[in-house]
Amino acid sequence: MKNICLFVICMLSLTSFGQTSDDLIPKEAVTVLGINNTSLLKKISMDSLIQYEFMEEVQAEMFDGSADNKTLKDAGFDFEQKLHVFNGKTSNYEVSGFSFGISNLKDLLLVFDDFDKVKSPINGIDYYNSYFNHLIIRGKSGLVLRVDPSYEKIKHVTDSIWIKRGNGYFFDDKDKKGDNEGDDEMEEPIGKILKDGELEADDSEVKLNAKDLINKTYWELKDSVTNVLQVKYLQTILEEIFEKNIHLKSQDSKFAAQLTHESEGIFYMDNSRNLQNAKGLWYFQTMFPELFKDIKTLYSGNIVVGDIYLKENSIEFKLQANYGENLGKIYAKLNSTKFDKNVLRYIHEDCAGFFTYNINLKEGYKQAYDIIIPLLSQQKDPRVTSNVLKAELLNEFVNLDALFDTYQGSMFGTFNGVKKVKTKRIEFSYDEKTFEYSEKEIIGEEEMPMFTVGFSTGRADIPEKILNYMGKMTTRFKKTNNYWKIDDAVFNSIPVYVINRNGLLVITNDESLAIENLDGYGNKSLSGKKAKNAKKSKFMYSYFNIGEVLSKIPKQVFTAKQNKVLDSMRGKEGYIEMTTLKTSSSYTDFEINYYFQGKYTDSGKYLLDLINSAFILAK
Amino acid sequence: MKYLVYLVVLFMLSSCVEIIDDLTFKSDGSGTFKYTLNLSASKVKVNSVLALDSLDGKKVPSVQEIKDKINKYKEIIAQKEGISNVKVETDFTNFILKIQCDFTSIVALQKAIKEIVIDESKSKKEIESYWLTWEGNKLTRSVPSITGDLTSRLKKEDIEGLKKGNYMSITRFDRPIEKCENSASLISANKMAVMLKITPYALIQNVSLLENSIMLSDKK
Repeated sequence: MKNICLFVICMLSLTSFGQTSDDLIPKEAVTVLGINNTSLLKKISMDSLIQYEFMEEVQAEMFDGSADNKTLKDAGFDFEQKLHVFNGKTSNYEVSGFSFGISNLKDLLLVFDDFDKVKSPINGIDYYNSYFNHLIIRGKSGLVLRVDPSYEKIKHVTDSIWIKRGNGYFFDDKDKKGDNEGDDEMEEPIGKILKDGELEADDSEVKLNAKDLINKTYWELKDSVTNVLQVKYLQTILEEIFEKNIHLKSQDSKFAAQLTHESEGIFYMDNSRNLQNAKGLWYFQTMFPELFKDIKTLYSGNIVVGDIYLKENSIEFKLQANYGENLGKIYAKLNSTKFDKNVLRYIHEDCAGFFTYNINLKEGYKQAYDIIIPLLSQQKDPRVTSNVLKAELLNEFVNLDALFDTYQGSMFGTFNGVKKVKTKRIEFSYDEKTFEYSEKEIIGEEEMPMFTVGFSTGRADIPEKILNYMGKMTTRFKKTNNYWKIDDAVFNSIPVYVINRNGLLVITNDESLAIENLDGYGNKSLSGKKAKNAKKSKFMYSYFNIGEVLSKIPKQVFTAKQNKVLDSMRGKEGYIEMTTLKTSSSYTDFEINYYFQGKYTDSGKYLLDLINSAFILAK
Repeated sequence: MKYLVYLVVLFMLSSCVEIIDDLTFKSDGSGTFKYTLNLSASKVKVNSVLALDSLDGKKVPSVQEIKDKINKYKEIIAQKEGISNVKVETDFTNFILKIQCDFTSIVALQKAIKEIVIDESKSKKEIESYWLTWEGNKLTRSVPSITGDLTSRLKKEDIEGLKKGNYMSITRFDRPIEKCENSASLISANKMAVMLKITPYALIQNVSLLENSIMLSDKK
């Protein structure tokens, strides 16, 4: 018996101490980015690394000064283990951090010199603390973790206790939100509503000193609640990871499979949990819990996983979007379409950037209708029932063939470079004798980017009817023999041209396309490898010469967040190609390749730039 | 599609502005003030900005809100002592704004403008001294310090736009002009008006460029 016990203890120890950075990611993580390129990490100084937003997640302040001129290798990191950066969210708290291997604990602690060793909340780990950040070390692996209870949770626990003390409802600044925003803030009361309408506080999960309850102000109480909830949630996570061996790898087979890949980086994002924790859906979740459950089921298994491969002349991203059976059925129908070759004629062979997008909207609609309407029909709520009736009546009365033949679901877009266009402005000219001035209309020329978008249509007559009607209503719509010109279409200044022929409805601000290339660019149209790839890619294909496109489009057109993503690409040459490889009823494979034609020596830096871009996009 | 439209229009960074301030003085010190702001050369950019909800974290007002604000100022100016006949013309197609009012004295005009600026900025520091003085035969004009303070609030691309713009300051009289101290002044052929023409950029860089002392003839 003694030997058996010893064996069990040894095995448990082996299991626990055998944990690598892969096993230290909390199951609550929704997005994970893993880097496992040894040579890549060895080249990057920690100060460079922490400049990236994906590293900001783990608080740049922990690397203050102590990381000067140090590489990750000097910092005691073990490159035999992967570095994982993660974040996630539950209805009660947010969790973020990173896990890593340790080769030299002493060096590591020099980097984490802001952290103080404190008594560990659980056995078998070394525990360090720095304000809200926690460093946990077991054996040769480390975890930096931050847990932030949600505002809503803190407020409800605080309010419950506050009201129980005999105070009225406390309004803080965040209560002064608009109606729409306010919806997000509400959640089920933690306490029970008594018969007389009072709230019985449920402070069972927050054990505070009774004296504190009497003496503390609301804000002090709130701080205490925050602190206690932080400790409670942190404790739960640590127990799960280090005692029960419950972590993302053990809970999600797709993530576990991803960890076995020999790529330079891996990516994981659980969209189904993003849906579950979306604050904007609170009202929907609360008012229609059964329906939300059904919709959640529809989204179950909606996980995006990916690999990043660093090649000599390219960086390749291979992404797989997984989905459940019902969503898969809808996607399968959406993808049951043929590539419309006509679009190729409107894409110039020298086009700096374009995309093609092909779906069968009619079949997708029918499948979605067959799946979603039965879900909605089960609901007894009058608003849902009323909307179901409207949807069913529309489905019966609307000519779906005409609708979906007009817009079939396939489209394309191109960036045609920058050209000069004529614009009007008013100038004041004055009389030399009296200096009296008068207005004069001046025609000027401005440089601007040219864009074209087009849709496949089987019913050219329907958009033509709309355009004819508009032509009668306003003189701004003018028909020439072959195309429509809409004057001052873009903010009263720039004309737009509409070409309705060859089974396409093409809208462009590029005058030369309407006048000189009405039927496309002829032998200058897209052909060769790019055309072949676009046809083969079916669902979605895009090509962008990033140097050319980004240098011509001004920063002002993008938001600060988008610019952060694009900054990593600006000033670089090469092109990005996105293709859809395979679509089935359970997944779609995408490939995004960045070809930089071997011009860069430090490809690791570019990879990190791109990883950072992907991370910002995924956030 | 809407986003593509933004891409197109926001690309036009070669925006510029034309401003005309036109003061007409009578010998008794009363007169007419006209102010014209012409953004038609930037109308694509202005339109594109107006289409946004916010820019640089600040809310972008709607055209209706701008109209309401202009009407509010019109009413406020009309109520000021010594100010009458207030007219406002707006052209939101070409983005031209014209304001005109009569004043009984330049003190009344300046007081009205100062009160509005102080109300808007909530700070008396924004505009402290008078910038126009009238001594019967001599008009001295400078530029309020608030104009110079604007420099620090402008972004690089805005400054580039201002370099391409025009600022025309015209002062008219009912008597011939004898001489002007500012050597950049242009006196009209009929001698009844004087003009200073610079770029808005030059003005905010050096507000003294518009300073002038204009001496008038005794005879009409």
